[in-house]
Amino acid sequence: MMPFKRLIAVAALVAACLGSAQAQTPQSDPALYEAAKREGTVVWYVGGPLEGMNAIAGQFQKEFPGIKIETMRLVGIAQYQRYMDETGAKKYIADLLQNTDYPSMASLAEDGHIAAWKVPSFDRIPAQFRIKEFAYAQYASTNGIIYNVNKVTPEEVKLLETDWAAVLDPRFKGRFSVSPMKCGVCYAPIHMFMDPQFKDRYGPEFLKKIAAQKPASYSEVLVTIDRVIAGEQDFTIAGWEAAGAVKMLDGAPIRWLFPRPTPEFGNSWLGISKYAPHPNATRLFMNWLMGDQGQIAMEKLYGSKGTLDGVPDQRPYVTESWYHQPVQYYPVDWTRWDQNYHKDMDLWAATIKAAK
Amino acid sequence: MRGKALLGKALWLILAASVVFIAIVPLGYVIDAQFYRETRVGLSNERSLVAFLDVFTSAEYLGYLANALVLAGVVTVLSLLIGVTLALIIGRTDIRRKRLWDTLITLPLYLSPFTGLMAWIALGSEKTGFVNVALMAMLRPFVDNPTPIFNIWSYAGVVYVMTLFFCPLVYLFTVGSLRGMNTALEEAARTSGATPMATVLKITLPLCLPSIFASGLLVFILGAELYTIPGIIGSTAGFTTLPWRIFEDSTSVPVHRAHAAAGGTMLLLVTVVGVWLQGRLTRVAERFVTVGGKGFSGRPLALGGWRFAAAGLIAAYVIAADILPFGALLVSSVMKYSAGTLTADIFTAKHYVMFFTTQNMIAALGNTIFLAVLTGLVCVVVGFFISLTELRRPSFATKALAFLAVLPVAVPGLVYGLGLLWTFLRTPLYGSIWILLFAYVAKFLPYGVMVSRTGLMQIHPELAESARMSGASAGRTMLSITMPLLKPTLAAILFFVMLMSIKELSASVLLYSQNSEVLSVLTWHYMDAGDYQFAAAIGFVQTLIMIGVVFLAQAIFRVRLDRAFGRDTSA
Repeated sequence: MMPFKRLIAVAALVAACLGSAQAQTPQSDPALYEAAKREGTVVWYVGGPLEGMNAIAGQFQKEFPGIKIETMRLVGIAQYQRYMDETGAKKYIADLLQNTDYPSMASLAEDGHIAAWKVPSFDRIPAQFRIKEFAYAQYASTNGIIYNVNKVTPEEVKLLETDWAAVLDPRFKGRFSVSPMKCGVCYAPIHMFMDPQFKDRYGPEFLKKIAAQKPASYSEVLVTIDRVIAGEQDFTIAGWEAAGAVKMLDGAPIRWLFPRPTPEFGNSWLGISKYAPHPNATRLFMNWLMGDQGQIAMEKLYGSKGTLDGVPDQRPYVTESWYHQPVQYYPVDWTRWDQNYHKDMDLWAATIKAAK
Repeated sequence: MRGKALLGKALWLILAASVVFIAIVPLGYVIDAQFYRETRVGLSNERSLVAFLDVFTSAEYLGYLANALVLAGVVTVLSLLIGVTLALIIGRTDIRRKRLWDTLITLPLYLSPFTGLMAWIALGSEKTGFVNVALMAMLRPFVDNPTPIFNIWSYAGVVYVMTLFFCPLVYLFTVGSLRGMNTALEEAARTSGATPMATVLKITLPLCLPSIFASGLLVFILGAELYTIPGIIGSTAGFTTLPWRIFEDSTSVPVHRAHAAAGGTMLLLVTVVGVWLQGRLTRVAERFVTVGGKGFSGRPLALGGWRFAAAGLIAAYVIAADILPFGALLVSSVMKYSAGTLTADIFTAKHYVMFFTTQNMIAALGNTIFLAVLTGLVCVVVGFFISLTELRRPSFATKALAFLAVLPVAVPGLVYGLGLLWTFLRTPLYGSIWILLFAYVAKFLPYGVMVSRTGLMQIHPELAESARMSGASAGRTMLSITMPLLKPTLAAILFFVMLMSIKELSASVLLYSQNSEVLSVLTWHYMDAGDYQFAAAIGFVQTLIMIGVVFLAQAIFRVRLDRAFGRDTSA
């Protein structure tokens, strides 16, 4: 009998071959490429880290000579506001938006500011990573615990992998950090803890118990991770895979684990501006980003998990022995997310503050 | 004659209209924004008093304001204490190597608050900060399990870092006044039997009160509106200031734009009161005039046996404010990741390689220098003429213009940036580098006005009157008497505004476009994305540029920044 892992590998290879057949190349749609070259430029408002996004854009420029991607970083709600201010003033600058805030992108699509564009790989993008034919999540963010390998023992890693409640173990008192910052990846675990289906397991009482463990609280979530890297804190429960991966690949003494259940959600939503000054070049770029090459480039150059089915996992760390895929995923509920985001995060911030 | 007067009035009117457009219209937008109902992502078209009342009457927001004012007050007092002491030692005593000390004391000006903050996080963290690691290693042979001595993540940490940043401003404003002071009064006091300390307290310090008060006001305003250091450290230490709350209201979902605007207006009112107080305290300008028509020569105070103590005091400041943060920034910039202990394999040159080989970095470098030079020049010329007309042709209109031009200094950059965005959004300037120039001029013109006013106040009108009585025209008097005497002050404004422009972030981050990136914005983006080491490399290059630009400008103008604030006729 063929071992299960080998079966998965073969399936992935077949899917990759199928994917390659649909790959976006200059030859796959010569008319679109010619029209795109005439426009010459795509102005991309990015919400993700500039270095990673520039690297991905650079890869596209290599594969599609004659088209320049101009990135401009505007994060979350700031991007929404800037885009809406510009649209209101009829200053049409942005071609492609990449917004980390799902409700903002959903709202833009609903209000008619995003052009419908069905990418060629549409059917391979799972429904939770699409907003109709308007926007697509470029990658998925998976929450976990990022720890310093010199501070957390293998036994403690095993314990923490069992459940988020393991952080309440007395041995972890004063050893970890949290962040009350309002951002998507910061909210995802709180969103799960406050899920009515988990009201007996987690809920507000669980938040209070975490705060009673006297964690260090940092206003910026990335400072939280940086302090773990430096060894100031042993681990952080405000982590997510891509944030850890970027640093680990640079040599930082950190790894991450996924307690059960593990929140995962579509992040960095891509949508073409309805008023895009360079619509053809933007469509071509969007096709590429959500196609095989774009997703592979993203996984290799940025290290996050792609959202396109059938693409072999290119993240460089997934084959390492310490790495364990999440066992039990928790899909976010966007409706409850939108309704409770502010209230839940205020409660979380107040709980941390009250425990000080 | 009549034609010239008309031309002068027309020029003044154009100037006034420009100031109102670039400095006051954005403020109008900010003030107006607080009277709208908020939506999840911005403002609706419906008018509402909810945000205004919430900010101005709720215990929550008044508490944030109180926190900001108390923090700014503590930092101002400490900065004045240290800055004036340093200025007295350099400006009025016979301490050696003044030029070196001058340069070292003003060095923190070349560090932006958030790059400095990165350095202090690396230095002052409780368990892994370089300072604690080194101190504990030294103590370990003598003490069992020594506890960390320093913790930057505390209220004291915030006060400490902010004070180090603001001391050079107090020093610069005060040392110029002290150097240019007529020492006849001091010598009279000494020959009448006054002790050196009594002379300093009763003669020297009162004579430089305008400079001390101006610097205190500036530090207080900058301290009250600073959000990075109190925000990032303060939230861990358990306190929130109004500027940080404004930042959160502006950037977190759901956005509270009207609340942010109301908070900005609140800070604006604080500054208006401060500027009014300054006006009251310095109303009788002649009390402080120390540059009259008569020449003088000064004899510095002999330190005697206190020389080493004075040098030790300055050296301690230089270690804390220069050597440690600049060293930490440099070390961080060549590290792969943050760490408390340094090993050979942690170092890399890749951040600098990336900086000098990435196209948008080079473009940002060019934009930064271009904007700094141009903003400096505009602020010198416009600031000087606004102060000159206010002081030499006092009228309601000239005083009102000077007052209005100073107001933008009061509003947190983030909120003011939004006002600028709304002002320029519908103009052809939007999306170009010129919008940044206008934003910088609006933000830094207050320094041009305030510093040139201080300089002009200390030049007695009798000098110009003598020239006019000898037959010189107003223009000739200006070129031959006023301008040469004011050259150091104008050069100081130029350098200072250039430095501030290079460091400017809060308006730039809202107004830049894909074609007009500047270094501070890129530093912020890399910091925001958690790439602190690359951000440190950009911050370090930015600092070197600032030092280079200032030294170059000083070489061209043959005037030194530290000798130019207040006034100094020796240059």
